[in-house]
This record gives sequence, structure tokens and C-alpha cells, in this order.
Amino acid sequence: MKAEASVVLEGVSKAFVIRKNRADSLKVKLVGLFQSRHREHQELFWALRGVFLRVNRGEFLGLIGPNGSGKSTLLRLIAGIFPCTQGRMEIRGRVVPMIELGIGFHPDLTGRENIYLNTSLYGLSKQETDGLFQRIVEFSEIGEFIDQPAKNYSLGMYMRLGFSAAVHLDPDILLIDEVLAVGDEHFQKKCLKRMEEIHSLGKTVIFVSHDLEIVRKMCSRVCFLLEGRILSEGPPERVIADYHEFLEKENSRNGP
Amino acid sequence: MLQDCLRYRSLIRNLVLKDLKLKYRGSVLGVVWSLLRPLLLILVYTVAFKYVVRIRMENYAFFLLTGLLPWNFFSGAAMASTEAVRDNANLIRKIYFPRAILPMATVIFNFAQFLLALAVFLPLFFLWGAPAVSATLLCFPLVLMLHFLFTVGTALILSAVTSSFRDVSHLTEVGLVLLFWVTPIIYPVSMVPEAYQGLMKANPLAAFSITYQDILFFGRFPDLWVQLALVGWTLSVFWAGYRLFKWYEPFLAELV
Repeated sequence: MKAEASVVLEGVSKAFVIRKNRADSLKVKLVGLFQSRHREHQELFWALRGVFLRVNRGEFLGLIGPNGSGKSTLLRLIAGIFPCTQGRMEIRGRVVPMIELGIGFHPDLTGRENIYLNTSLYGLSKQETDGLFQRIVEFSEIGEFIDQPAKNYSLGMYMRLGFSAAVHLDPDILLIDEVLAVGDEHFQKKCLKRMEEIHSLGKTVIFVSHDLEIVRKMCSRVCFLLEGRILSEGPPERVIADYHEFLEKENSRNGP
Repeated sequence: MLQDCLRYRSLIRNLVLKDLKLKYRGSVLGVVWSLLRPLLLILVYTVAFKYVVRIRMENYAFFLLTGLLPWNFFSGAAMASTEAVRDNANLIRKIYFPRAILPMATVIFNFAQFLLALAVFLPLFFLWGAPAVSATLLCFPLVLMLHFLFTVGTALILSAVTSSFRDVSHLTEVGLVLLFWVTPIIYPVSMVPEAYQGLMKANPLAAFSITYQDILFFGRFPDLWVQLALVGWTLSVFWAGYRLFKWYEPFLAELV
């Protein structure tokens, strides 16, 4: 039996336009018409180059690689934040991206108001949030601070509320970008547990992290990205070993 | 695009509520502040034009009001819409939601304040013994609706264009000052030399201003040309805004 696909990428590439001398005002554009040295130069930066990837439902996929290797771009493409330049993408199910915790939070609004604003950014109606509200507050352990303006929160409380709102949204595909770096150990453990729970419900999780230990423990499959290409993929042990090998090579090259 | 916005209507609601709360929370006088500005303007213009320039007109202050409140709505929304997408760059880069919601929420926020001002000032002036409580009032809701759609169209255009050309917000500011004086707000269109009246009526904001003055102040229906201009401008600006924004929408996360 063939497993059902959540995410299918076929030859996906993404180019960003790097503008030298960027004509971001009409004035500059007009001047550029007459004086060529003021004209805008465009260069393309290929953040992803021909990526083929299939993530099945219920998989827990880890993305690793050095900074600038295209992990975050890949996550954003799947989240629908921008379109791909080439290739074909297919996403099946409701995607909940956690690229930043507490998206849309405003310091002058109370925790309660921020939760409603945050969940509506994910497309939830007021009634749907009403149903989740109690669980979100309990999970965040924020207590009676919920009706205080968020500016009175500690960074930890802020993050807990953000994480709590996002993981209760019932995603089919959960995208996580390096958000666990914050919060104390107790809360990190709780977050990992919650991610496992979501995974055990048969949901797809795609996880970007530099913490190889967590990746080894959590993921069922890992992709190692470098310069916009998938260099190796497979079971965590093997791919992480490949990554270590790469890091050592880099070190010895940069070393004395 | 429009269906998407409908699906995310709780987001529109929360964004508008957020702006209203942030504006009025914590100020003692609350909503009175937003009424103070038009009141002050009317006072200043009345003194300047009734007593200094000596426009001969009964109930000049009320006449001013019927033109000035709609103008404030349009110009406030147009100005704010140039920032609507840019100011929320942080959201746009981190999560997908129909981007058109941002300019839309800006317009609704300004519309809410417009309605509030109407609700306070209109009854007051009718009690004061202003003229013309007439049947033409019945088409007031229709005019409001057209005015709203026209402004949404404008906001879609401005917010999209500003995302690639920053100085459009400065141009808008200057343009609005210019528009204010070529729109019959502080003077009735009948005072304009006849040769220019036709030209003036080609200005969509003049068409709106004349209509508001006619149905609220003079108690008559605007002439056919103004009616046609009203509907024609509304449909074409809304359509243009829709097309333009739709074209820009996928790339906004990269542009801002």
C-alpha cells in the first residue's frame, strides 16, 4: 500500500531578486530612465535549486544544513508565503507554519485579545477559537495574566502563549522553524511532547533545527540541505553522520 | 481573492478591533478625540470662509460637514493604505493569509470612524434646524456603499503600488492636498465658473462630494452626470484595484 502524500515538490526552485541600486521609489526609476549608471541592476539568488521531495502523511521530517542552505525558504514555500519560481508543488491539508511564535501579537493588547488575533491569522473563526481557548491558556501556564497587556509578560510567557496557540490549531501539516530555542527546559520538553502528540495523531510535521540531538530523537527522516539542494536524505543516523562529516571538512578547510 | 477574504473575516474583524482598541484604550476622552478633529476643522473653516472670505450661504457649517466628513474618510483611508502592507511586512513574511485583508481592514477602520462621526453630527444638525430632511436621505445608504467600494479600490491600488515604490506615500499625501482644493467641499460647485464645472465633475471625489451635499444638505438628487460618474468611477476603480492587487499579491512577501 502506498502512503498518502502530504507535500510533493517536483523540481522546485526559488530565486530571489537581489536588487543592486534598488529602484524602490518612482523617483529612482525615473532618474534611471535617463542615466544608466543609476539604473537598477537585478541579480538572481537561487535559494533552492531543483528540489524533489515527497513527505508522506504522518512523517516527521527534519531539515538540517548550515545557515543559508535553503531550509527556511523551503518551509516558507510549503507555507504558501511566496510562490516557487520553477517546478510544481502540491500541498494536501491545512498547513500551520510556526516560523515565529506569537505572530501578530501586539504588546498593548491583552493575552486574550492576542490569542484571538493570532488564531484568526491562521484562518480560524471566533467560534473555533472559543472552543480552543481554555486549552490554549492551560497549556501556556499563563494563569491570570491572560487579561493583562502582553507588554507586562516576560519573554518566556510571550513565547509560551505563542507556541500554545499555534499547536492547538489542529494542523494537518505542522511546520516548525527553530522556535524551540526559546523558553526554559521545562517548557521545551512540553513542546516536544506536544509535537510528538500531534505526530502520533497521524499528522505530518516538518521541522527545521540546528539541534541535531533533538532531530535524531524526534524525526523519522532527515534531509540535509546545502546551497539549495538536498545533499542527502534518509534515516536520521545516517544523514546526521553525513552532516557531521561535512562540518568537519568545513572546519579543517577553514582551520589553520 | 474576495472569497478568501470572506473566509478570513474574523481576521478582518480582529485587525479593525485592534486598531480601534489601540486608538481609544487608555485615553480618558476616548472616542471624543476622533470627533474633535472634524469639529475643529469645521470651526476654523466656518470662521475663515463665512466671516473672512464671506461666502454667502445659509447654514454654512452644516454644508461644510456634509462634504468634510466623507472627505476625511477617503483621505484618511487612502493615506493609511499606503502603509497597510509595508507596516505589516513582519506578518506577510511569516504566514500566509489573503493579503488584501490588510488594506481592507484599514478602510473599514476609517469607515467605522466615519460612521461614528455621522451618527453624532447628523442628528445634532438636524435638531439644530438644518434644512432638508427629505426623501433623498433614502439613497444615503447606497451612496455610502459606493463610497466604501470606491475607497477599497483606491486602497488596494495604493497599498500594492507602495510595496514596490516607497515614495508613493509622499505622492499620495501631496495628491490629497491638491484633490482637497479641486473638490467642492468648502465651496459649493455652483460657485465654480460654469466652464469648469463639467471638468470638475469628472473628478470622482467631486462626484461624491456633490452627491453628499445634494442629498444631505440641498435635499435634491444629484444630476444624471454626477450619478453616472459615481457609479462608473466606483466600478472601474474597484475593478482596477482588484486586478492590480491580485497581480501583486503573490510577490508581496518578497517585495516588502
